[in-house]
Amino acid sequence: MTPLNDPRDQIPPGTLDMLILKTLARSGEMHGFEIANTIQLTSEDVLQVEEGSLYPALQRMLVKGWLVGEWGKTAENRRARYYRLTARGRTQLNQEIERYHRVTRAIERIVQPA
Amino acid sequence: MQLNEFFRRLGYLLKRKNQASDLDEEMRLHVELRAAQLSSSGVPTTEALDAARRRFGNRTQIAEQSGETWAFNWLDHLAEDLLFAARTLRKSPAFTVVAVATIALGIGLNTAVFSVVNAVMLRDLPVADAGRLVALWEEVRQEPDVFRGKDDAASVTGPRRSTVSPANLVDYQNKTNSFEGLAGVDISQSNLTGMGTPERLSGLSVTSNFFPLLRASPAQGRVFTADEDHPGHDDVVLITDELWNRRYGRANILGTTMMLDARPYRIIGILPPGFLPTSELGIEVRIDFYVPAAYPPDLLSDQGRGDHEVNVIGRLKPGSSLASARAELKVLSQQLASRFPVTNKNVTAAIAPLRDDVVRKVRTSMIVLLAAVGLIVLVACLNVANLTLVRSIARNREIAMRIALGASRGRVIRTLLTESLVVAALGCLTGLALGAALIRLLVVLAPASIPRIESTAMDARVFLTTVVVAFLSGIFFGILPAIHITRIDPADSLRSADKNLSGRHQIRWRSALTIAEVGLCTVLLIGAGLLLRSFVAVLNVDLGFQSERILAASIPLPETRYATADQRLRFFEQLEERLRAQAGVLSVAFCNRMPMRGGWGTGIEKQSAVNVMLDADAQAVSVGYFDTLGIRLLRGRLLTSTDRTGQTLVVVINQELARLFYKDTDPIGQFIRRGSHAPWLEIVGVVSDIKRDGKTAKVTPQIYIPAAQTAVYPVRLADLAVRTALDPKQYAAEIQRQVWALDPDQPVTNVKTFDEIISIAVAERRFQTMLLCLFATVAFSLALIGVYGVLSQTVAQRTAELGIRMALGASQRSILALVLRQAAWLMLAGASSGLLLALGLSQYMKSLLFGIEPHDWGSYIVAVAVLAAVGMVVSLVPARRATSVDPLVALRYE
Repeated sequence: MTPLNDPRDQIPPGTLDMLILKTLARSGEMHGFEIANTIQLTSEDVLQVEEGSLYPALQRMLVKGWLVGEWGKTAENRRARYYRLTARGRTQLNQEIERYHRVTRAIERIVQPA
Repeated sequence: MQLNEFFRRLGYLLKRKNQASDLDEEMRLHVELRAAQLSSSGVPTTEALDAARRRFGNRTQIAEQSGETWAFNWLDHLAEDLLFAARTLRKSPAFTVVAVATIALGIGLNTAVFSVVNAVMLRDLPVADAGRLVALWEEVRQEPDVFRGKDDAASVTGPRRSTVSPANLVDYQNKTNSFEGLAGVDISQSNLTGMGTPERLSGLSVTSNFFPLLRASPAQGRVFTADEDHPGHDDVVLITDELWNRRYGRANILGTTMMLDARPYRIIGILPPGFLPTSELGIEVRIDFYVPAAYPPDLLSDQGRGDHEVNVIGRLKPGSSLASARAELKVLSQQLASRFPVTNKNVTAAIAPLRDDVVRKVRTSMIVLLAAVGLIVLVACLNVANLTLVRSIARNREIAMRIALGASRGRVIRTLLTESLVVAALGCLTGLALGAALIRLLVVLAPASIPRIESTAMDARVFLTTVVVAFLSGIFFGILPAIHITRIDPADSLRSADKNLSGRHQIRWRSALTIAEVGLCTVLLIGAGLLLRSFVAVLNVDLGFQSERILAASIPLPETRYATADQRLRFFEQLEERLRAQAGVLSVAFCNRMPMRGGWGTGIEKQSAVNVMLDADAQAVSVGYFDTLGIRLLRGRLLTSTDRTGQTLVVVINQELARLFYKDTDPIGQFIRRGSHAPWLEIVGVVSDIKRDGKTAKVTPQIYIPAAQTAVYPVRLADLAVRTALDPKQYAAEIQRQVWALDPDQPVTNVKTFDEIISIAVAERRFQTMLLCLFATVAFSLALIGVYGVLSQTVAQRTAELGIRMALGASQRSILALVLRQAAWLMLAGASSGLLLALGLSQYMKSLLFGIEPHDWGSYIVAVAVLAAVGMVVSLVPARRATSVDPLVALRYE
């Protein structure tokens, strides 16, 4: 459980899928822990993935066919499921990024002083 | 959901266990890696694992969430609902059994009747591309009858449907473009001789294009060539597999000859087993052989155009429609009418799809029966809806609790509907089994005159329809109670201990359902009443001749061996003498056709007004005919043994002919003749009318000429009848024996008592009347259960009120009246709505009625009276219970 005074922000709702997809797009294959860690590190510790919620999200994307998962070995020789982006996942990522930009630009126009 | 996604989900479903452990392993790894990371950054190892776990969250919940993304949600919910439904239904077995049985009854009857309708009316003929087959006939516009007044019912008729004249058929075939071909088909009966027991066989004489049109080929040999379809070349025959098996023991007989009416025919083909059962063409007799039609040249000449005598089937070319073919035939008929006004002035060719034409006579009857079972299904649904409502009282609190705990109204309705659908599904299964049994019963009971009925079976269409009907029934009887019960405010319901909170409201609903039930059952009762009265009217028709203890038989003497009228007369006179010598034979008669066994229609003219023809039936009868049949002499004399060839040609006429020809003047001594070339006949007597063609037929004008004077008339003696003191059936073998004593090659056929023939003739009417009465009884019973249920519930809910009334001094009688008044209201409202509905619907069964109008008040009043009487008797039970309420007990109960 995240302490209340944790300086890191929860990721905005609805963007988790995009972050996972983008992370995988950048680095090819990763297992769950690596994805969570990467999101946190890349965001320079600003964003923290709610670690448990990562897994239902991964499962959902498997169902949708955006990802495929394959079992492999970690550096420490542990069994882990490595996720990889599919072509459909890449299309989805582009759509989500586009939508994200549209939304943030709209929000910025509202909050910026006139 | 996309297809790929569906398969991914399905794959997951199949490997559910593995997936779960995979996920578990993944999550464990995550936590361990996190713990390792934490401890490497300085957190003590013991705390690191706990911290990692905290950061990860509730693993069980996450696993569940992950699982849910994969599962088919609705499927899981459905499974839940089904389980729940099964559990609740098992907890109330009485409700379940009654509801399932009611639905099964409705579905079973529906399935059975629909199977019959499917077999008779919907199923395609078992012929390749059967949809293009048509029947062709000729419609003859009736000229106003000069002998009958305008008021005479027989003179106002629409166009008469007629068989086709072969000469016209050739034109329809050659001068149109719509048809691939038109084939003439007729029943032709022949005596099979020369190989053991002589036998009367029925065959079809067909034009050479008959088999190609039906896309049929023989199992052995070939079909007819066009050359063989001409007189002189037509001594070839195809036989059915059945005859081949029965008479030839499947021997190799191709090319051998077969004696039909003492004429040799070469067997050129054997048809495959089960070749087009002739019931498919509306032919009742079993067909054993096929011979070429080979119409004689005079029939095909322009003079022959007036002889309408063949049945025609045809096949539309691909691309031509019924409408275009009709238009073409209409133009052609008009051309023929202007070229041959004498024969074709009033003739128009008409066509219809063959299947529809074959079943045209039973169509209304089938639709009425189907509508009747439809009503039963509705009544059954209303009844189960009623039961479900009652049950909802007990479940009031349970449902309220579910809603209070956050179940959405939709979800509750879905749960309740699932329950109804489970009942419907169980009812459907039981109903299918019941239906299968009923089908067998129906086919056994059904008269043979209903075409194609023997092929009734439960096919895919019946099965699917049944399933759909059951499903809709489930929705129908489930949705109303479900909506009703979820309207309840959960707070009210939970606060109150009173289970009957919604009782009042509910009784209103139940009353409405019961009124609908009573209404629908009134419709069925009235329908059954109309048919029953028609049936009784038919049975009570006086045929005008005696039918008891008379056995009739046909002895068709072939022309090849009995060439002259004299030879035939001698045969029958000898036979009469032999039979009269038998003990128990009271009298013997012979003629060309006995009543109800066909006839010989012919045009008659009188000497005082030649060239004006009246259609009459002509019979050549033996001296004993009138006595045997109990036909009374009204004027003049009967025929005697001195009326023979060489004597004055005499005739006896019936009352109808006397009325139409001579009005009030005395016909005795007047002269009439058949057609305009035959010799004149002197009328010597007038006899009473008979209904020759059976109970529902009209009396036709009739002439009787002496059997001994047929030399000048082409009348063929064929039928014989014996009146006996005892059961006439036992003389069948005697007739056969005496015939063989005279001619061992002569078969005897169509041996039936008059009573049997009458019974066969009314069989169809009896069948439909019986079924509709049965259906009305079933619906009535269901409606009574509904009435009984509503009244019982009312009484139960008003126990306290009734107790107070009685404590205040209300008499038992007034309590009785109170309940009965409610019963009367239910019956009255139901019966009057049913009455109105029946008034509208009964028009559609007009063609099934006899002797009464669709608005026959007697049937309506009797139906409503029966309904009211039985309804009130049933209502007495809850009413009596109301009067036996003990005020003390009732008040304490409150």
